[in-house]
Amino acid sequence: MSKYYDIDDILVKEEYVPVLFHKTANGVTIDPSAETNCAEQGSKVDIPFWLAHELQLRQAVSINLPACFDQKTRLEVQADAAYVDLRSRCPYFYEFGCKLEPLVTDRTLGILLSTAFKIRYKEALTKVYTAAHITASKYLSFLTKEETNCKPYRFCHGAELCLTI
Amino acid sequence: MYGRKGYQLLKDFASGEKGQLKPFNSKLFDETIEECDQNHHLLQSLIRKMQQEDLDVPNNRNADHYGALIHHLSLMRNKRCLMAYVYNRAEIVRDLAWRVGLELLDLPSEIQEKLTSLEKEYFKNHSVALKSYMGKVGIELNVDMVPPKDPYIKVRILDDIDEGIVLSDKTTNFARHSMHFLKRTDAEPYIARGQMEELTD
Repeated sequence: MSKYYDIDDILVKEEYVPVLFHKTANGVTIDPSAETNCAEQGSKVDIPFWLAHELQLRQAVSINLPACFDQKTRLEVQADAAYVDLRSRCPYFYEFGCKLEPLVTDRTLGILLSTAFKIRYKEALTKVYTAAHITASKYLSFLTKEETNCKPYRFCHGAELCLTI
Repeated sequence: MYGRKGYQLLKDFASGEKGQLKPFNSKLFDETIEECDQNHHLLQSLIRKMQQEDLDVPNNRNADHYGALIHHLSLMRNKRCLMAYVYNRAEIVRDLAWRVGLELLDLPSEIQEKLTSLEKEYFKNHSVALKSYMGKVGIELNVDMVPPKDPYIKVRILDDIDEGIVLSDKTTNFARHSMHFLKRTDAEPYIARGQMEELTD
């Protein structure tokens, strides 16, 4: 309830997820590939998370993992988590993942999120002390919104500014 | 459709600097309300359709029910976006009263332009409430938001300020680019408005 007015919470929930409709819904145009004004049972549609969550609570849809958590991202995180451009995949990578985790059948999502975060956090702390201005600014463009907002990364930003003086 | 306009409104808000206001986006605001009306209209027509088919509306879970549900959820989503927009702006307006000054006319004109008339009204009422409380308590609460190290500070005047300003211990004329040694509590309102800057050497 305390997050009702929180802008970040609202923006996270706007991320799209693929769902499978278990029930037909009349009079709605959310399925662009449908010929009639409805979403047919058995159709696969991309809808915003806030809608998918509510519909899944009422057993009208089932949620699948979106593309930002697919095998390609997992392999990249396994290879070198610190330099994966998570922001282009999903600016709210961690928050979105945390919200999805209880709703999907994939049990490895939590491990992916915590591994990625631990490695990237460690890298950011190292960067605060060692990085030159140019590499630091390029590195900052890979960070998700949560990473740029939390204190060690802000410190990293501050260190980057100090290095320019 | 389906919460998109509300989302765009909030994206517009979030694209500004944190703690800074952008001009009130009345165009997107009105479009979001229009989208809510559309959702409401479609929701009502689906419910009417179910009633015409003599179905038990609260308990029957047919295709029309799910369509109506999606419209209802979209309406609630847009409502949430509208409320969050106004709420977060109000938070910044309250913060202005604390940081910059309690008089609406003291606010720099760039900030005043970004407020709607309702927000200005809100600012005035908030200031009145604060002043009345500070009067009762007997302390000026909106000075020294950061604990000061020294009661006196050195300042340089940046903008033209009216002549013959009466401060707590003297009357001075503030010429542009001149430097003065003032009490922190006197200088703070001018610094907050960008008319003076503190010299920290």
